[in-house]
Amino acid sequence: MNILTLLIFSPALFGLIILALPSSWRASYKYITLLAALLQVGMSVSMYLNFKTGAAFGGFNQEGQYQFVQKLPWISLNLGSTGKMQIDYFVGVDGMSIMLLVMSAVVMVIATLASWEIKSNLKGYFALFLMLDMAVMGVFSALDFFLFYLFYELMLLPLYFLIGMWGGARREYAAIKFFLYTLFGSVFMLLVMVGLYLSVTDPATGNHTFNIVQMMNPANYQQGSVFALLGQQTLFGIPARIVGFVVLFVAFAIKVPVVPFHTWLPDAHVEAPTPVSIILAGVLLKIGGYGIIRICMGIFPEVAVSGAFWLGLLGVISILYGALNALAQRDLKRLIAYSSVSHMGFVLLGVASQTAEGVSGAMMQMISHGFLSAMLFFLVGVVYNRVHDRDIYNFRGLATLMPDYTVYVMIAFFASLGLPGFSAFVAEAFSLAGAFKSTLLPHWMAVCGSVGILLSAAYFLWTLQRMFFGQARLKGGEVWKTALSKLDIREKAALLPLALLALLLGIMPSLALDKINDSVLAFIHFLQLK
Amino acid sequence: MITMTHYLVLSAGLFCIGLYVILAKQNAVQILIGIELMLNAAILNLVAFSRFDKLNNSGQTFALFAIVLAAASTAVALAIILNVYRRYRTIDPGKVNQLKD
Amino acid sequence: MNTPLPNIDLQTVYYALAAVVLPFTAFLVNLFISGKNSKISGWVSTGAILVSAVFAVMVFGRVWNSHAIHAQQLWFTIGQTPVYAGVWLNNLSVLMLLLVTVIALPVHVYSTAYIKTHENNRYFTYLSLFCFSMLALVVVDSLVLLYAFWELVGFSSYLLIGFWFTRDSAVQANKKAFIMNRIGDIGLLTAIIILFSQYHTFDLIQLFGDNGLVVKSIIKNDRWIGPVSQIAATWQYVACIGIFLAVAAKSAQFPLHTWLPDAMEGPTSVSALIHAATMVAAGVFLLGRVYPMFNIQELDALAVIGCFTAFMAATIALTQNDLKRILAYSTISQLGYMIMAMGINAYASSLFHLVTHAFFKCLLFLCSGVIIHEMQHIKEENQLDIDPQNILYMGGLRKKLPITFIACVIGCLALVGLPLTSGYLSKDGILIQSFEWAEGRSTWGYLIPVGIMLTSCLTAFYVARLIFKVFFGKFRLKEILPDVHLHISDGGWQYTLPLIFLSLCSLFPLFSLNPFLYEHAWLYKGFVPSNYLARESIYHTIIPVIINLASVFVAYWAYAVYIQQRKLVFPQTSFLFRLSYNQWYIDAFYRKVIANAAVQLGQVLFWLDRNVVDGLVHLLTKVTGWLSALTAWTDRYIVDGTLHLIAAIASAIGNFFRSFQGGKVQYYLFSMLAVILALFIIKLLI
Repeated sequence: MNILTLLIFSPALFGLIILALPSSWRASYKYITLLAALLQVGMSVSMYLNFKTGAAFGGFNQEGQYQFVQKLPWISLNLGSTGKMQIDYFVGVDGMSIMLLVMSAVVMVIATLASWEIKSNLKGYFALFLMLDMAVMGVFSALDFFLFYLFYELMLLPLYFLIGMWGGARREYAAIKFFLYTLFGSVFMLLVMVGLYLSVTDPATGNHTFNIVQMMNPANYQQGSVFALLGQQTLFGIPARIVGFVVLFVAFAIKVPVVPFHTWLPDAHVEAPTPVSIILAGVLLKIGGYGIIRICMGIFPEVAVSGAFWLGLLGVISILYGALNALAQRDLKRLIAYSSVSHMGFVLLGVASQTAEGVSGAMMQMISHGFLSAMLFFLVGVVYNRVHDRDIYNFRGLATLMPDYTVYVMIAFFASLGLPGFSAFVAEAFSLAGAFKSTLLPHWMAVCGSVGILLSAAYFLWTLQRMFFGQARLKGGEVWKTALSKLDIREKAALLPLALLALLLGIMPSLALDKINDSVLAFIHFLQLK
Repeated sequence: MITMTHYLVLSAGLFCIGLYVILAKQNAVQILIGIELMLNAAILNLVAFSRFDKLNNSGQTFALFAIVLAAASTAVALAIILNVYRRYRTIDPGKVNQLKD
Repeated sequence: MNTPLPNIDLQTVYYALAAVVLPFTAFLVNLFISGKNSKISGWVSTGAILVSAVFAVMVFGRVWNSHAIHAQQLWFTIGQTPVYAGVWLNNLSVLMLLLVTVIALPVHVYSTAYIKTHENNRYFTYLSLFCFSMLALVVVDSLVLLYAFWELVGFSSYLLIGFWFTRDSAVQANKKAFIMNRIGDIGLLTAIIILFSQYHTFDLIQLFGDNGLVVKSIIKNDRWIGPVSQIAATWQYVACIGIFLAVAAKSAQFPLHTWLPDAMEGPTSVSALIHAATMVAAGVFLLGRVYPMFNIQELDALAVIGCFTAFMAATIALTQNDLKRILAYSTISQLGYMIMAMGINAYASSLFHLVTHAFFKCLLFLCSGVIIHEMQHIKEENQLDIDPQNILYMGGLRKKLPITFIACVIGCLALVGLPLTSGYLSKDGILIQSFEWAEGRSTWGYLIPVGIMLTSCLTAFYVARLIFKVFFGKFRLKEILPDVHLHISDGGWQYTLPLIFLSLCSLFPLFSLNPFLYEHAWLYKGFVPSNYLARESIYHTIIPVIINLASVFVAYWAYAVYIQQRKLVFPQTSFLFRLSYNQWYIDAFYRKVIANAAVQLGQVLFWLDRNVVDGLVHLLTKVTGWLSALTAWTDRYIVDGTLHLIAAIASAIGNFFRSFQGGKVQYYLFSMLAVILALFIIKLLI
């Protein structure tokens, strides 16, 4: 049995177990989910340890260089004269996906621990949760576009229900907004996918294929097909390959989210229950970044090179716009949601630079933001669970009431604002260094991006000052004071690993970079060939 | 001098009154009276036209038959009205509608 | 200057690393013994810094004026760029290593008594973290690490300024300090990024070494051409501005100086170590490390800003009433001297002044700590509502606190730069060289030496004011409230020993056997190139004489004003007084204009986000809603309506004919009649 397949489908297995168990055992569901998540961490870590590095394992556009590959024929239809329709179950990882898999597995454990707060309809909740888990893992490892799309859509369904049923006051609004936004992007992605299928043939069999790696090779495009490199086909008067790139980019930009496609994010975060926020920020946003690298830029590299300026510009706008918006928030969760927009802007800027430093920085930022945003949302959940309020101005001097909590908040805040020693520093510094070094982006972009670092210090420190320091003064008075108890073991067990991981990656970035490097170099090399 | 026209006009008047009674009245007995009036208008015509057949007096003969038949049919009609009244407690033909489709 | 050796002296490197890591160990130990109400933490940290200082002395002995040592190890690889971590020990770094440990030691001892028992653990945890970051900052060899520790220093300073986090003013101050420093940090980051993309390395030695990449690059035809690649010349200026911002933020230079006076909200011992002696000197240290970056024009700009800062801060210090604030502004002023000295190419004098200033300013702060401590004691004993730092309540303390008094006077004399003190040696060096620098320039060039002379006189005045107000005259609190109890003294050995130690270090013998010639100081010689020829000019004799006479005169003037109560100063309502008292309104300007603008901008963008970006989405939703309502209406009333109309017509016709079959005999008859009549009428008409 392939360990990657096992990693993807083990949550589904546990989900079925939960569905089969009678409701009277509902107290055990969370432990079953936790077991599933821990098992996943175990598997992903063992994959991480067995992951081979070196130039021969770069992956990206070389099918043979992927690891833990499993390729099985799945749907096979003989269409007579037009050939054969072939969809494979094709999964595998390279340096970029392995780190994201490990990160996602860890975030899932944290989200499970945060799920202790869920009190109603546990069976449905945990079944959907595990389904989401499966879809996420699938997205990061699918190498067949059809399979990718399947997992991508499969993610939406549980999320819609998780937000819409277990969310806050305006949950229906947020859930439908999220759902429609994402669907808007992915429907057009479907069209491009079909177009690509009809353009690309597998050189081995001569049939059309959904294989993403084959799509990266310009030689595999049929002469005169829609997306052929030489044909210069146009759609609505625009070269077809640019249309394809833009459509795919918009689909993923909604996920990232890139300004101006971001407005679903604050609403979804504010309404979603804590564990869903953690998964949203920690994992789902990364699918956007991952998709841009692997699919958008992988399949349409020459468009990515010529459009680098616009990608970088969107990145810089996201950084500054998100940070300034965060400065204006009084809802703590909304503030963190906007800070996510800002931090994910660095990913786009780094990727747009198309230098080894920039792309590595972007990857590092995705991993780092995965851990840190999970930590931040978990921390918001802690205080929200206790008093059901998140307004910054309703709290003051929490440091005297909850010293442990304050320590974790400070770690999370300072790590997020890029204090050296934490992972975000390496990530942001190298995204910017790459952006400056890049020949595709103007130099001012990196300088503007660094202003985002300053603004992040401003909003985080201002929040610290308003909520945590000063004399203790709460809106809820004595009731709140007793409600705001110290962190319990479960909460510490969730926060401590995240803090340590962020610290570890900050002090020894090589833990992640060693795995990523070969793939990044392969990616850069691939882009430069265009 | 009383001419043919006078008879005919009287007969037409009687017929019209009878027709009006039949159409307008809600009472079966009154309708029956209306029928009698129309019948008598016809009989009056028969008698008046008998002047063109002075030999056989067929007009008068038909009139006699008609009077007898009218008496008989009136008796039957009155019996029906009585039965209808017993069954429906009304003799308004508009309300007796059980035979309607 | 010295060159690195190929065969590395590993033992020295290990000593240096031990000196750096020991405070970090103390930090970790303190982290684990947190929560205990004891003084253990204090002694852990003090012990660590003591051993650290011993190692620093050994490293200093091996490296000073001998071979520089450079050792590094691969840290991580990003893309194809290896990033190394290592140490670079040369005269500059070992001097700083020694200075930081030697200053930190008395401060640690002092703090064990100064900080209350229940706050002991937290305080020393932070303090050890600071010492670690600062020591690491001075020895690292790569720009990435330099930036990392640069920011960590700022972070530990943030923690220590906000040490009493329940005070609003303290948390305002630490936020401000961190954000101001962040401005500098992004400047430094930008500079690092520019240097990296220009030279493809982070290594300080490769970049700024004697024959480094920076020295080899030139600016020609608006291109900045380096050995590896080239870039538009603007970016060289941007990089320098970035470094300058970093320097200005850490070393509190105009326009980023306003955080330093506010930082005095932290414990006084912290102010002594961090905000007077070591961290604020990091800016000057950074300048020293990247000195080859700057070309002539950029150095001139540095000189102007340094001189301006020195002058401005001195004028502000004239009228402040808060004891620590006066010292804070005098720190800014003295840092201005150092920056200016860097700008006028007096590299050695600048670093010399850095060292001497560290000692006497630390001494002054520790003295002020004793005074504030005693005033606090009076306040608590008598339950008064007074500000213990306000010098207007003090006076005549020289009899109550004799040791503090003597130490403070020594510190003040060194600050003014009177002979026999260390301050005389370093400051006069700067003054003399500023005149030499101005010689070859236009008349405007003389503004700098003149400005700096003027600043010296102002310094003499505010220092004299401080001494006279605090130690001479009558105890003014006693005059206001005659029945206060006074039980104050110099305090235990933890107070007096550091004061005596630092007082001795503020005198001339530590630096030079000749108390009048700065060129003879060993420290100065350590930084002057070996081929440097001291110029014999008239300034070497004139300047010291003039400046000292002027200082003495100004001090006497202050004596006349404050002790003999003669009215020889500006009235308190004059514009100049208010300008000085309100710190040139710079802080108010930042708060009202810049900080507000940022927050407002945030609000506006949020409004935009809600109403325009999200509004567009909502508009789209609404338009879709309207469209769908329209189609629904059409569907209901037009498409379906037609259908319904047809049905209705059919049913109306049906109903019409149906009415003839009512089952009512009279209707049948009526219809028959009607038909017959109709037929008749038709017949008649035809």
